[in-house]
Amino acid sequence: MSEKKFKDIHASRRAILKGLLGAAGAGALGCMVVPFGTIKSPSGKKKRQKIVKGDKLVYAVGPNAGKEIKVSDLALNKGTLAFPKGKEEHNNLIVLFHAKESEFQKPTKLNYITKGFCAYSAICTHMGCTVEWYPEKQFSFDFPHLFCPCHQSVYDVFHGAKVLAGPAPRPLPQLPLMISDEVIAAAGDFDGPIGPLPGGK
Amino acid sequence: MVYEWLNERLDLNRFKRKYLTKVFPVHSTYFFGEIALFSFVILILTGIYLLFSYTPSSRLIEVGGKKIPAAYHSILLINSQPLGVIIRYVHHWAAHIMIAALILHMMRIYFSGNFKKPREINWLVGMVLFTLAILAGFTGYSLPFDALSSVATGIGYQIANSIPYIGPAIAKFFFAGKFPAPGSIPRLYMYHVVLIPLLLIATIGLHMLIMVKQKHSQPYKNKDIAKSGKILGIPLYPQQVSLMLFVFFFTLSVLFFLASFLPVHNVEYFGPPTLQTPMVKPDWYLLWIYGIIKLIPGNWVIPLGSSASIDPEVIGGIILPGIIMTIIALVPFMYKEKEPLNYWEPVSLRPIGTSAGVAFIVMFLALSVTGYQAALNIPIVICRIYTIVLPMVAFFITYFIIKRKKREEVNL
Ligand code: HEM
Ligand code: FES
Repeated sequence: MSEKKFKDIHASRRAILKGLLGAAGAGALGCMVVPFGTIKSPSGKKKRQKIVKGDKLVYAVGPNAGKEIKVSDLALNKGTLAFPKGKEEHNNLIVLFHAKESEFQKPTKLNYITKGFCAYSAICTHMGCTVEWYPEKQFSFDFPHLFCPCHQSVYDVFHGAKVLAGPAPRPLPQLPLMISDEVIAAAGDFDGPIGPLPGGK
Repeated sequence: MVYEWLNERLDLNRFKRKYLTKVFPVHSTYFFGEIALFSFVILILTGIYLLFSYTPSSRLIEVGGKKIPAAYHSILLINSQPLGVIIRYVHHWAAHIMIAALILHMMRIYFSGNFKKPREINWLVGMVLFTLAILAGFTGYSLPFDALSSVATGIGYQIANSIPYIGPAIAKFFFAGKFPAPGSIPRLYMYHVVLIPLLLIATIGLHMLIMVKQKHSQPYKNKDIAKSGKILGIPLYPQQVSLMLFVFFFTLSVLFFLASFLPVHNVEYFGPPTLQTPMVKPDWYLLWIYGIIKLIPGNWVIPLGSSASIDPEVIGGIILPGIIMTIIALVPFMYKEKEPLNYWEPVSLRPIGTSAGVAFIVMFLALSVTGYQAALNIPIVICRIYTIVLPMVAFFITYFIIKRKKREEVNL
């Protein structure tokens, strides 16, 4: 066999081997793509159940969880976490409190308030932690406010849950209230989107 | 004898000559890396113990009339085992010690200039290790699924979710749905006990391999004692091995001591997840990111067309930390060296780099203090000011000191 021919055979053998290796690799990768393609994003697109007029509010936490909240239960300056009855899902979590009616000012929706009872979504608009009702002085805020323990956002309950401090980007949505049979009930749905919005939408 | 028998077949003598006599220079700062390594070994051992009893599921199960998540219940079971709670705390403390040791280790390399040619690759490998260690800490933190860890992990979800366009898809994939979805804990568990440890082991292996190949850099004074190119130190066996064993047992005993006297993450105290949110703070090594998130004003929104925008969470939780980590990773490429550097370099040769390093440490501390801003009752404006001013002050003071030292040396 001449030197040149020998080289040619080797060169072509190498080319064939390379081609085969490439094909094997591509095939193996292709096979892997198939199972990956079957991974479905979990169907978490359950819509929040809308709150409608007449939904009674029940305690969300504590020993009375699930019981309806009566007007007489919440004395002045008292507050609680609540759910619309039968629609107890996280995004429907409400913070309900009782304050002096005369304290509320615009942009609070005054017609959403009944007898000093006021309710906001309890889901912080920053990253979705649960806000807390603070009737007393805390830090430099010596008036009732809502406070988020995660990054210390402070919401002004008397001015439409305006953000007074902290990183929260939007006020909390407000929930219209009414009273039916001495029980506090919703008079409609929240006036805005709940909690943090994905992708800055 | 066994040794002879094995030696005839495996040529152990060659191994002894080649590796067991490898020379290790001696300096106390070499132990930072070792402490990190030994903490990792302890994490694996204690982690395997925890695996015997841990249930990776957030499904509610009924225990004594109360419904609690299965994962949380299994942690209570571990706590009730004779050594269970101690092993858990050793695991958690080892995570802290590992990350602290890694930070000290990186600081040593940074201030002695040994990230420079020829060790740029190992600096990058080290950055990967550090990132993996933080991911291991984050995923492990979620596993007890108590009130604290479920909220903290939920914030991680929200940060990922707020990335424009791709965020929701990434967050859903990483957490298997909207956290806490039924699949979230199993998936985080998989990352924590399989994926990340495997990647860590592989990366540590690469780190060691490169280190052995390139040999240690050594303290400057060794230059005058040993010939250039020779390492001055002690052989691996038996001297260095006995030192290492000492460090290992020391680390282990410190961990048991910490675990016995300072409980970390007491799940009984926080209780199972509820609708209320407890006061959450991330672990100390993520507190600086938490600080950034608090500093960024809520109205810092960069709009991207009509449907998306870059929100403050993304700026504070992803973009700024990402920029900072990238800058650190690229440090070796900011210097042009012709000669490979095999000794520690005096800081006076890098006045700007050294001062920037000190400034960075000061900024890290300032941001961490900002994490406690509300508890300390410092107005956020003051935090914003000191986070910018203190590092600058630190920079100029360090720079000034180095320059003056240098001038004194020249005058001598
Ligand atoms: C590489 C570094 C690792 C870090 C930084 C780390 C960190 C953590 C942390 C912070 C926790 C929460 C502990 C608690 O409060 O209870 C945890 C839990 C856990 N880790 Fe790790 N870990 C690491 C490696 C491993 C390995 C290799 C395994 C298994 C082989 C493992 C298994 C577990 C298990 C089963 C839990 C849940 C039990 C519990 O939370 O107590 N970890 N880890
Ligand atoms: S989640 Fe409420 S302030 Fe961040």
